[in-house]
Amino acid sequence: MPVASMDNITKKVKEEIDRGWIGPDIECPYHPCHFIGQDCTFCFCPFYPCNDLGLGDNIAGRLGKPIWQCTYCLLIHRPEVGRHVMSEIKRLGIQDPKDPRMRDLFNDVKERFYRKGRALMVLGATSDAGKSVTVAAICRILHKRGYLVAPFKSQNMSLNSKVTPIGSEIAMIQTIQAKAAGLKNPDHHMNPILLKPKGDTRSQVMVEGKPFGDYDVPEYYDNFVPGPGIEAVKRNIEFLKQRYDFVVMEGAGSPAEINIYDRDIANMGAAVVADADCILVVNVEWGGSFAYAVGTVKLIPERDRGRIKGIILNNVLGNPSNMEPGAEELERILGIPVIGIVPHADVDLPSEDSEAFRGMSSRGSGGVRISVVKVPRIANFTDLDPLYMEDATVSFVTRPEELEGSDAIIIPGTKNTIDDLLWMRENGLDKAICSFKGKIPILGICGGYQIMGRLLKDPQGIEGKAPQTIEGLGMFDMVTEWDEYKKKVIQDQGCLLETGEPVTGYEIHMGLSEVNEAPLFRIDRFKDSETEGAFRKDDMLFGTYLHGVFDKPAFRKFFLSFVKKGGKPVKMAEPKDYDDHIEENIEKLALVFEKALDIDMLMSIAEGRS
Amino acid sequence: MSILFIGTASGAGKTTVTAMYCRHLRRKGVRVAPYKAVNLSLNSYVTQEGKEIGMGQAFQAWASGLKPSGDMNPVLLKPSGNGRIQTVLCGTPAGDVTEKKSMDAPLASAVAYEAYDRLRSKYDVVVCEGSGSPVELNLMDRDIANIGLMRNRRVPAILVGDIERGGVFAALYGTWLLLPDDVRPLVKGFLINRFRGDASLLDGGVRTIEDITGMKHLGTIPYRSLKFPEEDSLSDSDGRLSGDNAEEAFMSNIDALLDAALEAGVDFQAIERLH
Ligand code: SF4
Repeated sequence: MPVASMDNITKKVKEEIDRGWIGPDIECPYHPCHFIGQDCTFCFCPFYPCNDLGLGDNIAGRLGKPIWQCTYCLLIHRPEVGRHVMSEIKRLGIQDPKDPRMRDLFNDVKERFYRKGRALMVLGATSDAGKSVTVAAICRILHKRGYLVAPFKSQNMSLNSKVTPIGSEIAMIQTIQAKAAGLKNPDHHMNPILLKPKGDTRSQVMVEGKPFGDYDVPEYYDNFVPGPGIEAVKRNIEFLKQRYDFVVMEGAGSPAEINIYDRDIANMGAAVVADADCILVVNVEWGGSFAYAVGTVKLIPERDRGRIKGIILNNVLGNPSNMEPGAEELERILGIPVIGIVPHADVDLPSEDSEAFRGMSSRGSGGVRISVVKVPRIANFTDLDPLYMEDATVSFVTRPEELEGSDAIIIPGTKNTIDDLLWMRENGLDKAICSFKGKIPILGICGGYQIMGRLLKDPQGIEGKAPQTIEGLGMFDMVTEWDEYKKKVIQDQGCLLETGEPVTGYEIHMGLSEVNEAPLFRIDRFKDSETEGAFRKDDMLFGTYLHGVFDKPAFRKFFLSFVKKGGKPVKMAEPKDYDDHIEENIEKLALVFEKALDIDMLMSIAEGRS
Repeated sequence: MSILFIGTASGAGKTTVTAMYCRHLRRKGVRVAPYKAVNLSLNSYVTQEGKEIGMGQAFQAWASGLKPSGDMNPVLLKPSGNGRIQTVLCGTPAGDVTEKKSMDAPLASAVAYEAYDRLRSKYDVVVCEGSGSPVELNLMDRDIANIGLMRNRRVPAILVGDIERGGVFAALYGTWLLLPDDVRPLVKGFLINRFRGDASLLDGGVRTIEDITGMKHLGTIPYRSLKFPEEDSLSDSDGRLSGDNAEEAFMSNIDALLDAALEAGVDFQAIERLH
C-alpha cells in the first residue's frame, strides 16, 4: 500500500466498506499486486496504521515525522482475512475506520489468523545438486495448497541479478522462485547477501540489495560473516517468517564443507537461525550419490545433524525404480527417509550454474547462429535465455575466427566494461566484430552497449584499474563516463519506438552515457518519460542498457527480423512473453516433483512435525 | 606391483589422474601399464591389432610410453541407444546387454582379472582406474572394477575426489564409510582434484578427513582446463583434441598437468610407497 495521507486513506476505506467484499479483483489493471489468489477487498487497509512492527514499519517522512509503511504486509490480502474483516465490519455496523472497535477487530484478526511462519531448508550435497529447482518446486507445491510462501537464500554468489521495484539487486534465481511461490514482487529480504564476483579474487558484496563493500575470501569469512553477515541473515529470515506461512530456504554449495563449517551462514548456520528442518538434495546423475548423501549427513556435527529430516535423490535419468533398493539401504544407514526419487525434469528455466556455463560453447539448436561474445567478466547472461525459444543457436565466442558464419552478434553485459574491452582488443575481437558492421545485426547490452560507443572515459579509475580514456568500437556516437562510484539500478518499462509495443527490463550499471543516436525505446517513468538506447537501422546496430530486453516479444521479434540466414528471414516462434514461458516451465517442474515426492512427508517436514 | 585410483563420482577425474600417474612413473623410467577393468563409454579407440578399448586407456597407454592394447580395458560397455549396451571383451565384440538380458558377470570378471594378471606379469607397475563410484548401493554387489578388483587381487587404492562441484569432504568420507569392511583398509589415501585458489584454506577439512578415516592426504591437484575427451560422457572438460595428432596434443596436456601437480606438492613418493 502506498504512503498516503491519513484523510485520504480514511476516505478510501469508507468507499471499500460501502462496496463490500470483492475477493480477488481481476478487473484491476494491477491485479495481482502482491500474490496470486490475494483478496483485494481492502486495497487500503482498514487497520492503518496498526503500528504492529511484525507487519509494517516506520519510515522517515518528509518532515522527519515517521510514516507507517505497509509495503511488505500481506495480512489483509489473505483471502480468509479480507472476507472475515468485511463481514465483521458489516455485522458490527462499523462505517468509519476510526471507529474504536476497529482496534478490537484488529486484535481479533491477529489472534485468529496470524501465525508466525516456519522455515524449511533445502540443502544440496554439491553445487548444481538441484537445490534451486527443488526450492522452486516446493514453493509452487505449497502455493497451490493455498499457503503464502517466500523463497530465501541467505547468500548467493551470482553473476545474474535482477532489480526489485524499489531498486534493490537480488539474485535472478530468487525472482524465479518467488514467481513459483505466486509472488508478484520479489524483494531483497529473499536474498539478503549477494556476492558478485569481480573477475579477480574479490567479490562485491551486496546487503539487502545495496552495495556494501568488496571482499576477498579470507576477509569475507573473517570480517563480514561473523558481523554484518549473520545479522543480515537473522534479520531477514525473521522478517519473512513474520509475514509468510512458509519460508523455503536454499542452501549454497555443500553444507559439509568442514573447513568453514562454523563460518558458513548459507547452510546449517542459517538453518539454526531460522530453526528450519532440512531436506538434502543429491544429484544422482554424476554417480556417487549415496556416498555424497552419507558423507554429508555424517560430517555435519551432531548438534545440527538432526535437522536433516528427508533426502531427495534428484535428476534420475533412467528408471527411478532402479534406485529404490539403494534408497531403502540409504534410509536404513542414515535413519532419514528418502522422500522422493525425482526423475530428470526436462524444463527450460534460467539457471544459476556458472559452472555449467563455463564449459558451454553453444546452446539451442535453431537455424540461425547468434554469436555472443563471452567476455571474461560476462554478467547477466540470462538476458539471452528467451532466444532459446526461437529458431536460434547461441554460440559463445572467445576468439575472432569463431565469429565466422554468425548471423548476428551480441556483446553482453560485463562486470567490468573497460577490462573486457581491453581483452577484446588484445585478442582482436574488436576489429573482427567491426568487420561485420552493416552485414549482420550487432547488439550491445549494458556493458556491451558501452563498448559499442566512441569513447569510454574513466578519469578516476573507477571502472578500470587505472585512470584512462579508451576508444570503443565507434559504432555509436556515444561517450560513457565514470565520474563517481555510483550505480544506476532501476526497473524500466516502456515501448519499442519503432512499433509502439511494450518492453520491460532493468538497468544495473555504473558509468553514464551521452548518446547522439536515434533511440530504441521510450521508458515511462513515474511522471514523465525518456528515451533509451541507440539504433542505426541502415547498419543494423542496436544498443541498450536494458537487461531482460528479450523477455517481452516486441524487441526479440524486431531484432530477429533483421537476422537473415542465406538471405531468408528467421522462422519466428509465436510471439510469447518469456514470463509466460517461465510460468509454464515452473508448472511442469512442480508436477514432476509433486508426482515423485511423498507430499505428506514434505508437509510434515515443512510444518516441523517430523 | 599395482595401484588403483577410485573416484567419488563419475567425473571425479580418475582417468586424468591415472594418466598423470602413469606419466610420472614413465618419466622415472618405470615400466608401467594402465588398466581399467570395466569401462562404460561411448568414446572408444581401436588399437593396431584391431582391438576396441576405452579412449581413456589409449591416452593412459601413451602417457606410459606404450601402444594401447586390448588387455588395458578388458570389458568395454558401449551404450548403443534404446537401452541396449554392446559388450566388448578384451577388444572383441561379445553381444548386447539389455534391461532383460544382463551381463554374464562371472565371465566378465574372469576376463577382466585374467587381463590384469597378464599386465602384472609383463610390467613393473600396473596403474588401475576404477569405474564410477565404488559405493552405488544398488550396484555394489556386482562391482568388478572397484571393490571387485580390490577384493580379488588385493590392490591398494587411492580415492580421488572432485572439489569443483563442492562437497568433496562429504564425498570422500561417504565413499570410505560405505565401502565393505574387507576392502576399506586397502584405501590408503586420497587426492583432491580440480582445486582453484589457496590450498591452505582446505587444511582444517583435510586434517579432519585424515583423522576420522586414517586415509592419508596425498595432495591437492590444481584445476587445469585440459583439452582432451574424458572417459565418461559426463565429464565437464570443455573441449576435444583438435589437430591430427591427438597423441601429441594429449601428451603436452598431461605433461603440463603433471608439472602443475608436482609444483602443487602432490606427494608422488608417498603414492609410490603404496604400490
Ligand atoms: S495490517 Fe498491514 S496493511 Fe494494515 S496497517 Fe498494519 S501493516 Fe499496514
